Amino acid sequence: MSMIHSSQLTFFAAHAPFDRMEPAHLLWMIEHMKMGYYAAGEIIVSPEQGAVDRFLVIKQGMVHGEQNVAHASDADTWLELAEGECFPLGALLANRSVASIYRAGADAFCYELPVADFHALIGMSAAFRDFCTRRIANLLEHSKQVIQAQYSNSSVEQQSLASPLSGIIRRAPVTCAPDTPVRQALEVMREQRIGSMIAADADGHPLGILTLHDVRDRIAIPQIDLDQPVINVMSTQLSSLPPQALAHEAALMMAKQGFRHVLVVEHGKLVGLVSEKDLFALQRVGLRQIGSAIRHAETVEMLQQSGADIRRMAHNMMAQGVAPEQLTQFISTFNDLLTARVVELECKASGLVGTPLHDGLCWLALGSEGRFEQTLNTDQDNAILFTVPEGMDAEQVRAKLLPVARRINETLALCDFPLCKGEIMASNPKWCMSLEEWKRAFSAWISGGSPESLLHASIFFDFRALYGAHALADDLRSWLARVAGENSRFLHMMAENALRNRPPLGVVRDFVVGKGNTLDLKLNGITPFVDAARIFSLAAGVTQTNTIQRLRSSAAKMNLHASEIDAWIDALLFIQVLRLRHHDEAHEQGTLDNLIDPEKLNELDRRILKEAFRQARKLQARLALEYHL
Amino acid sequence: MIFWLKHWLGRAPQLTAPQQQRLDAWRALPRVALDVPLNEARYVVVDVETTGLNLMQDRLISIGAVAVVNGKIDFGDSFYVVLQQQAASEKGNILLHGIGTSEQLDGAPPVEALLSFLEYLGKAPLIAFHVTFDETMIKRALRDHLGFTLKHPWLDLAYVMPGLNPPLARKYRALDDWIGHSGIRIDVRHNALADALATAQLFQVAAVQAAAKHIADMQGLRDLEKAQRWVSSVS
Repeated sequence: MSMIHSSQLTFFAAHAPFDRMEPAHLLWMIEHMKMGYYAAGEIIVSPEQGAVDRFLVIKQGMVHGEQNVAHASDADTWLELAEGECFPLGALLANRSVASIYRAGADAFCYELPVADFHALIGMSAAFRDFCTRRIANLLEHSKQVIQAQYSNSSVEQQSLASPLSGIIRRAPVTCAPDTPVRQALEVMREQRIGSMIAADADGHPLGILTLHDVRDRIAIPQIDLDQPVINVMSTQLSSLPPQALAHEAALMMAKQGFRHVLVVEHGKLVGLVSEKDLFALQRVGLRQIGSAIRHAETVEMLQQSGADIRRMAHNMMAQGVAPEQLTQFISTFNDLLTARVVELECKASGLVGTPLHDGLCWLALGSEGRFEQTLNTDQDNAILFTVPEGMDAEQVRAKLLPVARRINETLALCDFPLCKGEIMASNPKWCMSLEEWKRAFSAWISGGSPESLLHASIFFDFRALYGAHALADDLRSWLARVAGENSRFLHMMAENALRNRPPLGVVRDFVVGKGNTLDLKLNGITPFVDAARIFSLAAGVTQTNTIQRLRSSAAKMNLHASEIDAWIDALLFIQVLRLRHHDEAHEQGTLDNLIDPEKLNELDRRILKEAFRQARKLQARLALEYHL
Repeated sequence: MIFWLKHWLGRAPQLTAPQQQRLDAWRALPRVALDVPLNEARYVVVDVETTGLNLMQDRLISIGAVAVVNGKIDFGDSFYVVLQQQAASEKGNILLHGIGTSEQLDGAPPVEALLSFLEYLGKAPLIAFHVTFDETMIKRALRDHLGFTLKHPWLDLAYVMPGLNPPLARKYRALDDWIGHSGIRIDVRHNALADALATAQLFQVAAVQAAAKHIADMQGLRDLEKAQRWVSSVS
């Protein structure tokens, strides 16, 4: 006989995954549950007890997981479970004993479901099954919905093509008199960094428009006299709309008539200008336009504008709950495009294009950029790999390339890719090298083993070609895969080094926080995954640089289980998305860092972050096993 | 009213033959030993709601119970019943336990309700907080409706808890005190089932504390209760 009090349902309704289960399944579960009490310090489940006999949900209190079971003296708490959390899922699903000791950290009451009923419930409830088998993926699903809800307010406003043009106009229009000399009009455009100039009469009636595009076709190519009145070179076929017209009307007008600007005119008087770019932010998919804008950009200002568009688009994509993997891909793709365009423009400007030097030059992206894992806050990490043309030596080539590299680095800095404080940049003579020199450098790091070599290895091993002679980078990569994979001593040291960075799961509180109660999402969260994936990929001879691809491609050779890999990837992506959200919010306030206060996360995100760190620990445990550490 | 008359006239209540059989079957169950380890036996933790606090006049409205089996509360082994009333209790009383007028009038016929309680209980020892109240109410209902006198082993946590925690004995009296002290969080009070559950959790805490004092079985706890009753009567 069983009677369930409604207050018990209330408890389960407040915690995932029970909140998603059908009421009948939930009732069935509770009816089959027991409740145990464990005084602080008491062991709840341990490896010695054999195959796990029950599924536990913490009703109240706290439970610690302790690793290093073999050496009880230096047992360290590696996870901390709180109210509403479940354990030990992995052992239950695999019908094995637990790998860690679970001990009550504070007096704890746990709901307990016998193992047979646990399996019956998995068969019965899809929501429960999904939670158990795709634990982190499932929590992420929850989180995604919360994120969408959070962003929906701001994004509806920003994205809506149904908002009136009066709300989109960013600044008062810059106008000039129709008889202003062309030269003067161009100067004003450059000074004010505007893409268009409108001529208006004394009453503010618009008469003509000159855009950057027109400059090339109507001024530069025909080489007209710059002292003639600007109205002569302007297009006088103006498209205009009243301020209360909607954004999508402007978008339609541009699309139909092929104009990039629509004048906003009230009672015959110019009140503003709406450009195609202004509408990008409102469009769900403006990716093609951004891409083409970058490819055709001729000036730093235009690239800066594209940088802002990328950021805005990332914000919108986050708002729509786009998966983090796509999001980082999106950011990387466009940052790549932008960087490549900067390199191209500077190579042109310096007269390098068309010379043998240019043909034998390869611009390398390193670090997170090399791994396709850039966020909105990424320092430059780059280098040059070159071949030495006949009749020159490496020093001479370097002397020619370094000034160009310096300009590229500076231009990138103008486009919101801050200069690397550690001078890991192509303009540093140390990192502008020939293929032979690079091989020598890598060999030295691999056989060296000093902390500095290992640090360099971790940055430079993630290189990838971004511009120029890709074949050179492929050469270096396949050579490196062979050489590093063969050197087990080196891999062992890399693993040892990686394990020094422990995910910050706390003993007393949920997280171990640093200064100002913050966690460093990059160092504490992302790095353990990145480091481990790099080592696996080197050991498996995988040539990819992306962490996710590295994990997937190394799996077979390293005997890593697909479900393990999926859980690690989900964990990594979640931390990445938290980081992106943090950058997105921080960018509006003007500060960019990777530090978050876990207390400020909502309960669900905090729990997923804990789970993600736990996965990082598991990955490290796997690494430790592999290298006997 | 009819029950009171019957009682006053000293007539035994009339049970149907099947009802009498069920009662006899329960009475024939073997007694359980009280010297088995606490985590190898079944106990039933009980709480009742009544029309008031007068032991002689007020009536039993509901019984809530959960079993603690081998040290764990077993949700599949729990019990709750509302006894059908001739007239609903007063408004103030309803506000306390939340069992409304229609629920009281629609309850289970008392004979059936009490027989199912006995069948659920078996001969497992009963545990409550302030046993006198629960025991008196249940005993009187059994006598009135089933015509027999319950003789059953009870354990009173209201004495066991101070016995296990002498320094707190003067400070804590009520169930809420001990629940709060033990960090047991409950969302609902004054529902017989919810209170029985909270009391069962308190029993789990008591069992762990008792083990630390080398008290391993029900007999040991009952001895402790007896000693504590003596202590409270003289202090």
